[in-house]
Amino acid sequence: MSGAGRHENRPTSSAARTDGLTRRTLVRRATAGSAGVGLALAAGRLAAQTPEATPSPATDASPAASPAMLGASGELVTYSGRNEELIGPAIEMCQQTTGVTAEVRYGQTAELAATILEEGDNSPASLYIAQDAGALGQLAQEGRLAALPDDLLDRVDERFRSPDGVWIGVAGRARVLVYNTELLQSSDLPQSVLDLTDPSWAGRVGWAPENGSFQSFITAMRQVSGEDETRAWLEEMLANEPVVFEGNGPIVRAVAAGEIPVGLVNHYYKYEIQAEEGRELPVENHFFPNGDVGSLVNVAGAAILADSPDQEQALAMIDCFLTADLQRYFAETTFEYPLLDGVPPAAELLPLDEIASPDLDLSNLADLQGTLELLTEVGAL
Amino acid sequence: MIAESLAPTEPTDVAAAPPGAHLPDGKDHPFQDIAVRCVGLEKRFGPIEVVRGVDLDAERGRLLALLGPSGCGKTTTLRLMAGLETLDAGTVEIAGRLVAGPGRDEPPERRRVGMVFQDYALFPHLSVARNVAFGLARRHETKRRMREVLDLVGLADFAERMPHELSGGQQQRVALARALAPNPAVVLLDEPFSNLDPELRLTVRREVRQILADAGATAILVTHDQEEALSLADRIAVMWDGRIIQTANPEELYHRPVDRRVAAFVGDAQFLPGEARGRRVDTVLGPLPLAGQAEGAVDVLLRPETIRLALAPEADPTNAQVTNREFFGHHQSLTVQLDAGGALRARLGSYGGIRRGDRVQVSVRGAVLAFPRATQPDNSA
Amino acid sequence: MATTGSQPSPTDLLPLSGRGTLGVGFPARWRRGRRLPPFVIWAPALIVVLLMAMPLVYLVLRASEAGSDVWRLVFRERTATVFRNTAWLAATVATASAIIAVPLAWLTTRTDLPLRRFWATVATLPLVIPSYVGALTIIAALGPRGLVQESLAGPLGIERLPSIYGFPGAWLTLTLFTFPYVFLSVRTALVGLDPALEEASRCLGRGSWRTFFGCVLPQLRPAIATGALLSALYTISDFGVVTLLRYDVFTRAVYVQYRSSFDRSLAAALALLLVLFAIVLLLAEAAIRGRSVYHRSGAGTARRQRAIHLGRWRWPALAFCGAVLALSLLLPLAVLLYWLARGLSGGAGADRLWSSISHSITAGGLAALAAAIAALPVAVLAVRFRGRLSAAMERATYLGYALPGIVIALAFVFVGANYLTPLYQTLGLLIVAYVVRFLPQAVGAERLSLLQVSPRLEEAARTLGRSSLGAIVAVTLPLARPGMLAGAALVFLTVMKELPITLLLSPIGFDTLATDIWSATGSGSFAEAAVPALTLIAISALPTVLASVRGGRSIDRPALPSAPAMRQ
Repeated sequence: MSGAGRHENRPTSSAARTDGLTRRTLVRRATAGSAGVGLALAAGRLAAQTPEATPSPATDASPAASPAMLGASGELVTYSGRNEELIGPAIEMCQQTTGVTAEVRYGQTAELAATILEEGDNSPASLYIAQDAGALGQLAQEGRLAALPDDLLDRVDERFRSPDGVWIGVAGRARVLVYNTELLQSSDLPQSVLDLTDPSWAGRVGWAPENGSFQSFITAMRQVSGEDETRAWLEEMLANEPVVFEGNGPIVRAVAAGEIPVGLVNHYYKYEIQAEEGRELPVENHFFPNGDVGSLVNVAGAAILADSPDQEQALAMIDCFLTADLQRYFAETTFEYPLLDGVPPAAELLPLDEIASPDLDLSNLADLQGTLELLTEVGAL
Repeated sequence: MIAESLAPTEPTDVAAAPPGAHLPDGKDHPFQDIAVRCVGLEKRFGPIEVVRGVDLDAERGRLLALLGPSGCGKTTTLRLMAGLETLDAGTVEIAGRLVAGPGRDEPPERRRVGMVFQDYALFPHLSVARNVAFGLARRHETKRRMREVLDLVGLADFAERMPHELSGGQQQRVALARALAPNPAVVLLDEPFSNLDPELRLTVRREVRQILADAGATAILVTHDQEEALSLADRIAVMWDGRIIQTANPEELYHRPVDRRVAAFVGDAQFLPGEARGRRVDTVLGPLPLAGQAEGAVDVLLRPETIRLALAPEADPTNAQVTNREFFGHHQSLTVQLDAGGALRARLGSYGGIRRGDRVQVSVRGAVLAFPRATQPDNSA
Repeated sequence: MATTGSQPSPTDLLPLSGRGTLGVGFPARWRRGRRLPPFVIWAPALIVVLLMAMPLVYLVLRASEAGSDVWRLVFRERTATVFRNTAWLAATVATASAIIAVPLAWLTTRTDLPLRRFWATVATLPLVIPSYVGALTIIAALGPRGLVQESLAGPLGIERLPSIYGFPGAWLTLTLFTFPYVFLSVRTALVGLDPALEEASRCLGRGSWRTFFGCVLPQLRPAIATGALLSALYTISDFGVVTLLRYDVFTRAVYVQYRSSFDRSLAAALALLLVLFAIVLLLAEAAIRGRSVYHRSGAGTARRQRAIHLGRWRWPALAFCGAVLALSLLLPLAVLLYWLARGLSGGAGADRLWSSISHSITAGGLAALAAAIAALPVAVLAVRFRGRLSAAMERATYLGYALPGIVIALAFVFVGANYLTPLYQTLGLLIVAYVVRFLPQAVGAERLSLLQVSPRLEEAARTLGRSSLGAIVAVTLPLARPGMLAGAALVFLTVMKELPITLLLSPIGFDTLATDIWSATGSGSFAEAAVPALTLIAISALPTVLASVRGGRSIDRPALPSAPAMRQ
């Protein structure tokens, strides 16, 4: 891919530069106390891992191949399309462990992607954290992402990383049908999201067509079921008078309050709201079985910019996101699915490998355009 | 011009000319007596020629009035002298120095002109004292000079007032003081009395005349009010349609206008058709002595005060009947219908028992002026 | 006969006669043949204008990359729908704003309505509520399962309110938060209107109603057009409201294009269409305004007019004012307070709030100052050196106002990152971007107040020995200071609300109240959004209220930036 191609041109100059800077970093480290320890730890970890990596051309070229190059100048400029409240603490934790100081610009995933494209070679950003895979796929397509080392990529299931090895998922979320346990039994629930068009569900389903996750789900449906079928489903759903919400949270609250029996949401809202309210709510997630498109699993991901000056630090950061500690943080605090093998999801969650998610390349979810047009045309937006 | 040839060769009943008025024209004055000399001024705004070749001299220490109807270009001429407009052609000399002309256009601040605007243009954010001191260099005499000028205009007690706290007449005097303060070579006054009440106007006029005389200032006054010009000015230039058509002292202007337009503009004029034969003109009032010589069809200028009326029994034959009488106290105005056709107004003293309906004999005092018959009625009457 | 206060002047026809017109009425050719404006005026003005044109150049550049795709995009059916929606929304919002604002302005200037000053101040305050916050609160209150419906559902058993989404909600929200533009503009005009004309009309036997419609309203036409233009420009460039309330207009299409396909070229093409739309609006406004002469502007002493006695009508009048207040101010505030009360979780610490406040005030203050300074040369050129070129330069500054924030933000990202690298993502460049976006507000206010300074004053200063620039500095600027302050205040409060530019161009870690609100609502915690939102509203309201208190000595002086301000 072009991302990797660009990347190959960089190693010598980049290595020379970081060599020069390492000395300064060492001085900083000496004075930085605990942060320095963190850096040493991180360096140790990478050093321990990299030798086992199969050397591919891309990883060979990667500065991260050598632990000596870890740590460079100043702060790691990060663009985050994930909300500060969700990712902020994780970044904080990783600063502690890696010694990297991150400066984060928060914004909308897509606008930050557009910003990176406008900035071109001069982008100050090294690390890009995206809310969904689509934006990452777009940057990859424009050749703006650096290849990630295979050992890092190998830590997550290939469903949740770039086929070209330029971005990687850090946390997963599943689409579910949330239902009120006082009103319905799990046996009352449909086996496919497509069945919600049944007249028996008229006026009883909550959805949030403005929501990005919902739109990704529709994009996935277009890929899996085809354009016409998706349109037909949307039209039948609309005929069934779904109850419209601004977002997933309000749907879950409405279901918990018994206003509606079911709603189409992401899996983790139930837990977030329970944590916020401090009590168990009579709601449960229903996963559609058999690879139903209604159980799409999408990821929040991260990538390193090909032109970035601080690739090593960015890599250290991503590496940190995919350590057991951080994955446990995602699992326990945001109730997202950890993607690292061996880290279990929150106790209440259906394990990831038991979710029969549809088989598709998440990068292809970049075609949001068509989805929005479709939603607009049928009148859902 | 035929009008010129008709001009009287000797004074009829002109009062004694003031000293200096007998000098033929400004151009023949010794150089140092001319404060402002304009030659061939031209100015157009887009397609409109506003000033078309104006020659004008203002004598030092005297007041020149620039008199003309609305739109004749007199204010523009004034602004050309001040440098507030740029010349298209011609030259302006102020105090013997060329300030505007081919290849030269000094900005207003270097021309040594003082200007009094129609709306005074007092700086509303500055006190009277600071308004007056505005044009003075920052020297220690500033305050002395400011006092001096305020004394001159009789506003020494108002120095700390703000402009809006003054009456119209006081504002007028502040504007004059401000213009005089820097000792300009000439003070330009643009319709300075038009914003005053009629009763106030007369007083302020006298005051301004006195202040200018006391200051020994040269002044050019733009006005459309012939009474103002006649009573204030040492010399009057009548401007018409962008040109100066007559420059004269007030008496000469009134009694020997160069044409019908001037005659009608500077005073109450009525015209009687006649047939000129040398030094005599035949009219319905019989033959009248002509000031000057003419032949052919003419219009005879009759000012109301030159018309004499005699009551029927004493005067015989009568040739008119009184149709209207207006009594003004210090004089009265009578309208008579001539038996031969046409009406005339006569201005008589306060006494005299002529009433409406009386038969009278109309005659004319002194020699009359005649202008070649207008081919089409002009609009000046 | 709209020129009040200028008795037909007996002086020359062409030159600047009549005291009331203040040099505005005469044709542009008047100034031709004058000396060129001083270098120190036209050079900075040129720089400012070039800066303003930058986003446009960027758009053209980007759009041209798309090639033939552009035409497909432009001519597809959805574009026509979006165009219709935009036009319809802009027209209805402007109309409704006028319908609210004109009676309010009249009531607060001409009648014995109780608490006139209070109402006049309150009517300008909706400007300080960011429209996205306004939209959120409207949804929370009037949306499905909103506060209003919940309170009605119990006692009255009303299950469903008519949907707030789509046109009705967008229209309502934008009207509620933009009518102050029309109010300010009309109120200023009413104050400046010579009461003698109304008195004449009354003496000729027309009652107050017929006087209003036959005499006052026609004279207010230019002011209404100006205010409505601002309200319409705001409507077409606003993104928050139409997104939250789901109405498909140009800004939303532009954002969707960026957000969904990451296609900057097609987004740029759509944005260019939006610019065209704005240009049409500007021309339409110019046509409506006609060749009206500027009315008297406090040059003379405006007589205080006898207030019209409302009598029984005072109750409906008060009810009307109260309803406007309730919807545009109390409702959003109540929702925010409700969120605040419900949010039991501590939320962000006080430290964070303080840093956001100081960032917001720093950015807003610097931008206000920079805009006030940058607007000066443009305004001076437009007012004192009238001509086709200076008019064109002034118009060019309005482009920033018509562009969605994201477009300006990305234009500066492109230029900043690639050509001004050392400045990129610094406070300096952020301020410049703010200036480009909000300059017209400063130009408008300064232009208006320069118009009120008679050119005679500058000429007087010239004949007293000051240079052209010296005269402007010594006389014009001190007199135009209220306008400069008003313009700066308006820029301040709009910068405080600004989001897209702040997100993309601020120095990293430069969180402001606006980004805090965005961040909190993004994660769905409205309770946490309430604190920064209320703080932002309080801080922005401060200059407005202060201005109205200071200007309070004469009730006749409008508090804030008048909007004719924006264009005259």
